[in-house]
Amino acid sequence: MRSLQREPGVLLALLAVVALVAIFIVYPQVRVVLTPGSAYGDFLSAGSWVRPLGNSLQVMALSTTTAVLIGFVFAYAMVYTDMQWKPFFRLIGILPLLSPPFVVAAAYVLLFGPRGIITYGVFGQTPIIFGLLGIWGVQTIAFFPFAYQLIADVLSRSDARMEQAARNLGAGPWSVFRTVTLPLSRPGLGAAILTTAIYVLEDFGNPALVGGQFTVLPTQAYGLISGFGDLPSAAAVSTILLSLALVLYLAKIRLDGGQSFVTVSGRASSMPRPPVPAWLSWVCFAVCGALCAMILLVYGSLVVSAFTLTFPVNTAFTTSHFEYVFSGVNGVALRNTLVYGLTAAAFSSLFALLAAWLVQRGIWSGRRILDFLLIMPAAVPGLFFGIGYATAFNEQWMDWLNRGVLIIISMIFWNIPVGYQAAVAGLRQIDRTMDEAATSLGASSLRGFRDVLVPMLGGSLRVGFVTTFVRAVTTLSVVIFLFTPGTTVATIRIFQLVNDLDWGGATAFTVIDIGLAMVALGAMAVLARGRIALGASRA
Amino acid sequence: MRSPSEVHLRLEHVTKRFGETTAVNDVSFEVPRGSFATLLGPSGCGKTTTLRMIAGFYDPDHGDIVLGGKRINELPAHRRGTAMVFQDYALFPHMTVKENVAYGLRVAGVPGADRERRVHDILQFVGLGGLGDRWPNQLSGGQQQRVAVGRALVLEPQILLLDEPLSNLDAKLRVQLRWELRALQQRLGMTFVYVTHDQDEALSLSDWIAVMNAGKVEQAGTPWEIYYHPRTSFLADFVGAVNLVPGTVQKLTGDEAVIAFGSRAIAVRVPSGLALAVGREVRLCVRPEALALRPPSADPDGVRLPGVVARRAFLGDLMRYWVTVDGREWIVDQPDPGAAADFDGPVTVAVKPERIHVIAE
Repeated sequence: MRSLQREPGVLLALLAVVALVAIFIVYPQVRVVLTPGSAYGDFLSAGSWVRPLGNSLQVMALSTTTAVLIGFVFAYAMVYTDMQWKPFFRLIGILPLLSPPFVVAAAYVLLFGPRGIITYGVFGQTPIIFGLLGIWGVQTIAFFPFAYQLIADVLSRSDARMEQAARNLGAGPWSVFRTVTLPLSRPGLGAAILTTAIYVLEDFGNPALVGGQFTVLPTQAYGLISGFGDLPSAAAVSTILLSLALVLYLAKIRLDGGQSFVTVSGRASSMPRPPVPAWLSWVCFAVCGALCAMILLVYGSLVVSAFTLTFPVNTAFTTSHFEYVFSGVNGVALRNTLVYGLTAAAFSSLFALLAAWLVQRGIWSGRRILDFLLIMPAAVPGLFFGIGYATAFNEQWMDWLNRGVLIIISMIFWNIPVGYQAAVAGLRQIDRTMDEAATSLGASSLRGFRDVLVPMLGGSLRVGFVTTFVRAVTTLSVVIFLFTPGTTVATIRIFQLVNDLDWGGATAFTVIDIGLAMVALGAMAVLARGRIALGASRA
Repeated sequence: MRSPSEVHLRLEHVTKRFGETTAVNDVSFEVPRGSFATLLGPSGCGKTTTLRMIAGFYDPDHGDIVLGGKRINELPAHRRGTAMVFQDYALFPHMTVKENVAYGLRVAGVPGADRERRVHDILQFVGLGGLGDRWPNQLSGGQQQRVAVGRALVLEPQILLLDEPLSNLDAKLRVQLRWELRALQQRLGMTFVYVTHDQDEALSLSDWIAVMNAGKVEQAGTPWEIYYHPRTSFLADFVGAVNLVPGTVQKLTGDEAVIAFGSRAIAVRVPSGLALAVGREVRLCVRPEALALRPPSADPDGVRLPGVVARRAFLGDLMRYWVTVDGREWIVDQPDPGAAADFDGPVTVAVKPERIHVIAE
């Protein structure tokens, strides 16, 4: 891609991307930040935000620490040891990524609540489980798999040859890990910790379900709107939340920039990692086993509850909960989830690909700004994003627009960073001479992009599509201010059913929602394998 | 018919900067139509940048690029008709050989049947008939290189740009494909602009060579001129092995100069265009193969330099000697080492004065 003036098609595409980003990413957020206006002073001096802020920071520190520690052990075990059952652990580790994070809270209430299966059913106790400890425990279980994925990614990218070289120079396994692996992956680990902290900070569903009187920023913002209709104060709280998340995110970007140690060559090193002692493998196996047992307990209880009449009181098998989920407003929500998720995933991944191409391959001033704007939604709490859309597009003249369309658009742009970063990573793997070869054969930049780069970026496109779909069907906070009775979605219904203590319906709905995400992921795995098989037959 | 000397490509004072570095600095040259032109130089000399400006991948900061009499600075790369063969071939991995070759025709809107025929013909032409349905990763390096050439040639471009197309191949194949490329170019009568850092390649392929260094063209001319009459020590040193001996002009008579070096002096011809004055520092430039070793007692024609063999290396087709003459090492190549006994100890280095070239310092 050379000069924009010489290729009007590219210029047009760029203008379109910039316009959409301005309208759907920048504008809503600016609106939220500006909403309180002169009310900022009163709100800040009233000080009602101080406690939730302190609570948010406290719970963020606690949950991030435990989630990262556990995630690290899990990741180390998966990447470094030769323990048994790795594929099984990997599968279980993915499960929480495919479900709305707040289902852990739901299962927690179901298992350990005042009428919980274990607390009341087994021990006959009715403990108070709501509050800081509840959130901490639930978020640890809900977010350690995220930490695990991020850390495993960093560890597996560290070059096995370096470790072999260190072993060859006489260092033992522990000293190799301490003096080679850790220093090399430190920026990546830092970024993983910060990302986990952002997830925890932005979490709305878990604190909403098990927080009780322990209010954090997202639940305070939600309460201000749903309880008092106080949009200015909610916007102010959300802005505090956004500032925190942005600080964490900017720190993460800095660390990512310093990740130059880790080789990103695109091809996995074929050299095996040096072996670790057998006892260590066994310890790791035991820890992973215990963690997976916990996850299975969470999801198992959901599944059992979904198939029994009123678990645990009446454990007669029934499919009535599923019939309920497929009928009436629930059926509508399910259909909406599917339609919105697929549409958003398709548009988001394609738009992200085009935007990534314009930023990564283009030579024009301002691309760094666009790059930042396309990544920023990753730092924006879903609740903030949702309030932004509710504020910015809740205009009378826009009533002709179906609210479902607005939800889809919010999902598209909230998830843009996913597809965008996958596409940028993909483009970095493709040498520019590919573009130039197409150009030198007479293809315009856009034509070359379509004919050469897009087919080669199939992998990135699939990752973007599936991840966006999974995030779209599992998000609660983005849509909670946008839905109407006709445009409700699965996560909203699950949240409402849990609040109504309709456990059968809620768990059946959760099982189906997770099922959707699993099908999507499975389809991608099959597609990817097909590609690998095709590649093998060519070799 | 166009006259053979017609200028096909002309660069006029072309400059390209990347930030603080000037990659190409005020470069001008002309390439006649139908010639095999080579930009030769070490890495970072600006040769590839120059080629990419011709292709339209970079815009020059100053100067004009004129192709076929038309200034093409403002023409987007895909409208220039300057097909390019890339160093790593840049074959599209998701297209078969046929699809790769057909791509440019498809973009140009050439109808199906015609396209098929031309793809088929060009694959035959580059010796890949029957491999059309293969994927690029099923081909050897040499075959991939042919696909890259075929893919560019099928468009019948005005001019073919080649960016180190042989550098990824092993030595034997590289030499073989060198002859094929040259034969192809002569058969088609097409203008080739070829970039390489390999002086053997440049010398053996080209009608015309521009040697670049630090963003500038140091010298341009035929391979013969470049090799035997380099204008700078950089050039002499870059193109092949060379002895560069510092000396001083002692006497000037017509086009002959007496140059003093060490404790000796020789009379040599002054190259045209080189202005010398008595007392001027110069360098004597002698190729190792222009020198001969003789036993110390021998009395050959020309200049005789008594010396001692310091070390030697057997290179297969020749024996390379480092001979110390007046405390300075001279490189001397003896061809066909198997035909005669090795030299050792004291020797006489013999050279004919007409084989000594003078470079101003």
